[in-house]
Amino acid sequence: MKPPPAHAFVNRLIALTLLLLVFSGSLGLGAVWMRQEISQAANRGRALEVKMADVERRLDEVNAEVAAAVNPDVLLQQNQAMRLGLVSPRELQVVRVGESPELRLASKHNREVFSVASATFAEGGNAPAFHVLTAALR
Amino acid sequence: MSKGFASNRLSLLAVGVLVCFLSVGVRLVFLQVVDRDELLRFVDRARRQIVVEHARRGTILDSRGNLLATSRSEITVAVDPWALTEYLDQEKNPARRARRAAEEAAKHARLAELLGLPLDTVEKAFTPAMRAIKPENDTHDGVVDGQTRDRWVKLREALDEPTFDRITALNIRGITHERIYRRVYPGGGLAAHLIGYLNKEGSPVSGAEHHFDLYLRGQDGWIESEKDGARRELAQFRSREVAAQDGNDVVLTIDSVVQHIIEDELKLIAAKYSPHFATIIASDPMTGAILGMANYPSFDLNNYSKAPLDTQRNYAVTDIIEPGSTFKIVAAGAALNEGLVTPQTTFDCGLQTIDYKGRTIKLPKEDEVFGQLSVADIVAHSSNRGAAQLAMLMGEQKFYDYARLYGFGQPTAFGLGGEVRGMLEPPSRWDGLTISRMPMGHSIAATPLQIHMAMSAVANGGVLLRPQIIKEIRDSDGNVIRAFGPEKRAQVLRPGTAAQLAQLLTGVVRVGTAKGFDIPGFEVAGKTGTTQKLIDGKYSSTHHVASFVGFFPASRPEVVLSVIVDDAQVSGGTAYGRVVAAPAFKHIAEQLIQYLHVQPVTPATRNFLAMQGGVR
Repeated sequence: MKPPPAHAFVNRLIALTLLLLVFSGSLGLGAVWMRQEISQAANRGRALEVKMADVERRLDEVNAEVAAAVNPDVLLQQNQAMRLGLVSPRELQVVRVGESPELRLASKHNREVFSVASATFAEGGNAPAFHVLTAALR
Repeated sequence: MSKGFASNRLSLLAVGVLVCFLSVGVRLVFLQVVDRDELLRFVDRARRQIVVEHARRGTILDSRGNLLATSRSEITVAVDPWALTEYLDQEKNPARRARRAAEEAAKHARLAELLGLPLDTVEKAFTPAMRAIKPENDTHDGVVDGQTRDRWVKLREALDEPTFDRITALNIRGITHERIYRRVYPGGGLAAHLIGYLNKEGSPVSGAEHHFDLYLRGQDGWIESEKDGARRELAQFRSREVAAQDGNDVVLTIDSVVQHIIEDELKLIAAKYSPHFATIIASDPMTGAILGMANYPSFDLNNYSKAPLDTQRNYAVTDIIEPGSTFKIVAAGAALNEGLVTPQTTFDCGLQTIDYKGRTIKLPKEDEVFGQLSVADIVAHSSNRGAAQLAMLMGEQKFYDYARLYGFGQPTAFGLGGEVRGMLEPPSRWDGLTISRMPMGHSIAATPLQIHMAMSAVANGGVLLRPQIIKEIRDSDGNVIRAFGPEKRAQVLRPGTAAQLAQLLTGVVRVGTAKGFDIPGFEVAGKTGTTQKLIDGKYSSTHHVASFVGFFPASRPEVVLSVIVDDAQVSGGTAYGRVVAAPAFKHIAEQLIQYLHVQPVTPATRNFLAMQGGVR
């Protein structure tokens, strides 16, 4: 058997060396690219954090301004300045509804179908009073 | 060329290379071994940094979620005049340099306008100057002469964000800033004594800010990373990161509108009677929650530094007064609770002296002449002699025990504002007259809040509660992490007795000392008080404490209200409780009825609730 020529071995060695160089070069470039990406991602993250802090700060600012604007004293001043004439109601102006509005509306809408009757039982003295409602089909 | 010469040259080259390698090696040994620690320290100083992330302080809210205290950023704007000089020096072309300078000068005029400062001041700030420093610190410019470039010339403090945004948009060379968080109180003086404030250093001084600081302050975080030559953080080199924990929000029980109503009334009282001090307290009898508490004089929380210390006191808890006739609820309630009397039991209130335990005791004076009065009349007409006889029926120890049960002589555990315990001496330290004087509210001292809570116990079926000022704690996301409920301190009276006493107290406004101050349909129950002030050891006939303490509706109490006015100036008359305090009580009550939707009491509900002892 004839031994392989020496230059063929040298060529293979050179090829392998070149391959190794390309591979290690790619690894190096990959590492640099990855570091660059990490750096950019970190900077983007930091920028977002700064932005969020800024938004929160502005939100606090707005909240404080809203709170100051709805302060009862300020609202009263606005009421006077804008001549709105808004005043809190007095007891004389208030009509209190004693009966249940739902029952009243129900009986109004269904008066052809049901007859609603109510009765109050009071024993007098300290005994409690009862208000009884009955609904019957006509 | 000879072969020997070539060989020598190669040897020389080899030695040269070897020496180079050797010197590099020696240098590396110095860098990596000998000077390692010092160099590492230098690198650490130059590149590593620890940035503290300040936690945001929690807000204080009222029970309806209105902001009472919050933090907002403020900016201190300063100038680095050397930065402008360096920027102009970069341009070597004189014409372009002059144009740059003119552009910057035009911006300075706009800056002065935005900052509200004279242009001269701004221009002066942009003039480069040196400042003196210690020679040992003079390592910045290479010349050790105790002078360094002044790179921080303050222009304006407390600038708001929108204005600073406009300044930033101008892109002025040399402008620098510092952002700080300052506490702001949107309500100004609203509930000043309850909220308290943070001083300029950020330390809590008083009120809820101080008492709930543990919840509010949060925990600072920090980031360990590296920085570049321009001192910008290199975020990719962050090695450790501890996030800041923002403070929790504290929700108080007070209601801004109720607080405003009582503060408005205090302003009216102050304008009309120029008192020494005045206090109004409103609370929910069933929970002990304070709906509003205000004092005159008061102050603006945003300008606390200008307020005298006297105005910063929460008189409702820091000052004691003799409760006067409002204390008669102790004698009446105790005698009814012990079953010693009924509302119809009569006493001779015309007596000037009475025999008690083998001694003849002089009874206190009355404001008007009375004869036989029932217990109901004693309460309604505020008879001093009647109250004294009720206390004598029980004896010193029993009466003292009831006074303690009502909460007198001990702190209410309110928490805010340096509360004092008041003065209630044990019977062993009483003199012979005390049993006849204490029932009318003399020989005892209490804070306005103690008097208020005692009346609250009558409204709440005889249960003495701790006054609540905090409703809940919320985390920074708004989740409730702790809620505070009512805290019972003592069962003073049986529910039935409390309801009975409540009904007797309605007589005060129907036929008694505060006749005419009833609100039809809302069953106002209350007690007037007019106490002569002790001045130089003697009871003064010209200085009084006027009070009206009560609740409504009597058979379904929803609000307890106290109005206490110290040393009101009433032209040509005495500052009686009915003159000074009762009108204010009625005026506030009418507003609270509408605001809190208090329903009038119908006869049916009155009977039913009376049977239950008034408890909801």
